[in-house]
Amino acid sequence: MGYIREEDKKYLRSEFEKNLQEEVKLLVFTGDRCQYCGVAVAIAKEVAELHSLIKFEEHKIDGKLAQEYGLDHAPTVVITDGEKYGGRIRYVGLPSGYEFSSLIEDIIDVSRRTAEVSPEVKEKLMTIDKPVKIQIFVTPTCPYCPRAVRTAHRFAILNENITGEMIEAVEFPEWANKWNVMSVPHIVINEDVQFIGAYPDEQYIEYVLQAYKKLR
Amino acid sequence: MEFGFVLPTASRGSKEVDLVIIGGGPAGLSAGIYATRSGLNAIIVDKGNAGGLAEEAPYVENYLGFKGIKGEDLVKEFKEHALDYLEISERNEVKDIVIEDDRYVVKAERGEYRAKGIIFATGTTHKKLNVPGEDELLGKGVSYCVTCDGYFFRGKKVAVIGGGNSGAIAAIYLRDIGVEPVVLEYMPKFMCEKAYEKIIKKREIPYYTNVQVTEIRGNQKVEKVVYKDRSSGEVKELDVDGVFIYVGLIPISDLAKKIGVATDNKGYIKVDLSMRTNVPRVYAAGDVTGYAGQIIIAAGQGAMAALSAYEDIMLQ
Ligand SMILES: Cc1cc2nc3c(=O)[nH]c(=O)nc-3n(C[C@H](O)[C@H](O)[C@H](O)COP(=O)(O)OP(=O)(O)OC[C@H]3O[C@@H](n4cnc5c(N)ncnc54)[C@H](O)[C@@H]3O)c2cc1C
Repeated sequence: MGYIREEDKKYLRSEFEKNLQEEVKLLVFTGDRCQYCGVAVAIAKEVAELHSLIKFEEHKIDGKLAQEYGLDHAPTVVITDGEKYGGRIRYVGLPSGYEFSSLIEDIIDVSRRTAEVSPEVKEKLMTIDKPVKIQIFVTPTCPYCPRAVRTAHRFAILNENITGEMIEAVEFPEWANKWNVMSVPHIVINEDVQFIGAYPDEQYIEYVLQAYKKLR
Repeated sequence: MEFGFVLPTASRGSKEVDLVIIGGGPAGLSAGIYATRSGLNAIIVDKGNAGGLAEEAPYVENYLGFKGIKGEDLVKEFKEHALDYLEISERNEVKDIVIEDDRYVVKAERGEYRAKGIIFATGTTHKKLNVPGEDELLGKGVSYCVTCDGYFFRGKKVAVIGGGNSGAIAAIYLRDIGVEPVVLEYMPKFMCEKAYEKIIKKREIPYYTNVQVTEIRGNQKVEKVVYKDRSSGEVKELDVDGVFIYVGLIPISDLAKKIGVATDNKGYIKVDLSMRTNVPRVYAAGDVTGYAGQIIIAAGQGAMAALSAYEDIMLQ
């Protein structure tokens, strides 16, 4: 059996064929007593089988690489070139539902080693020279959430100080509760600045800068 | 747990086309199929996902040919169907439109499209209730989307404000996922389809009529809704953990107005029966025209708009 439908695979294959340029690693970090780890691995494998430039790897959440990337929840899915992107583009919990589309778009951007951001936003983005972590709480049935996830991930692709971490709120209720998540997308930057909603890049970057300025 | 997979479609770069369809909801997707089949070179541009507001519809029982289907699944069918015909550019908001000679230049986040014609299929956004507490408690129990946020209230009590079709569907969905909803309706009677009224009664979902909500109260999060019982004039309170607001829609027509398209006093784009606006080769379809607010009507209007565009662009 497979998780992704045959006709969806056909579509994805053609999208990848058109858009992929360099190798992309799809890493899944798994652990014991992890309800969705098996599914995450299966889905990632199915995606990797769609194009030769996508390489699947399974790692342990208590292993060395997870430690290096600062990961501690399983499953976590990381999309990377294995070098400059490190573990900064990630999904904690299953990227299913609407988030599956974020995952696919991330694979394409990472493979192209770039992301689209307007020159004005990029200028602001590039002033960030200290680590900023953007966490985006989502539910898989939220059609507005991928936009918020993708913005963080696009920022992370362009600026190596930024980490974009999607967190599936239904799968990690305690974590969501800690930030009183009741509406998604709910964005937490550096465990400090918070906002709710899927905003355009121009507004999003202001929140990121707000959190960054507090670092100085 | 079910695993749905929503596929992305990201076109990059600018191009010259016959027709730009702004908005990839049911109206835009249907327009795209008809436009391309008729021979027009068209593109659909959407600021979010193709699918539009219908993605928020928990369960659709009134679209021809589908006795009952999740909105998410229905629009997935629409989208895949449209993708066989034309490019859909998602997460690509149209920010501006300018007129250059006989072309419309549609300026989006990820490209510019020079076109002979435009279909506005931009739909609507949720209307706010405009009571104290609504903005302050947004994200702290106040929400406008049950499919997004319903989960957070499992085992809890919530108010659904607005008992029209959307509010009714929202309440039924909430009950299905284990939330305890109470519907608060301003008018003195059921304001939804009889079909929903029956389900609401059968599942014993409280549906209060003649309710004027005056305030949403809470410290860190929603604690209660204050309302006036319009039949007795009494002010009452209802203890709840959340509030879902479904009190109507506001058309997204600012860009259309900018290029001279006429709207009614609520902002709905004025169209004739062939979906033409007052501006040449500019059409509108779906919820932004203010008709009915139903998927099947949006799809029908989208088809009509595309056929009119074909007549005006190809046959002239
Ligand atoms: C809870 C709920 C339940 C519902 N249930 C049903 C039901 O059971 N049956 C039924 O028939 N209908 C139902 N509806 C109504 C249905 O969803 C709408 O009638 C339908 O989606 C309208 O389609 P549309 O294409 O006109 O607009 P929309 O679906 O609103 O699509 C408009 C699109 O335009 C895009 N857009 C707007 N501005 C821009 C811009 N500047 N640039 C790019 N893109 C832009 C938006 O992102 C959006 O995707 C329900 C609605 C809700 C909220």
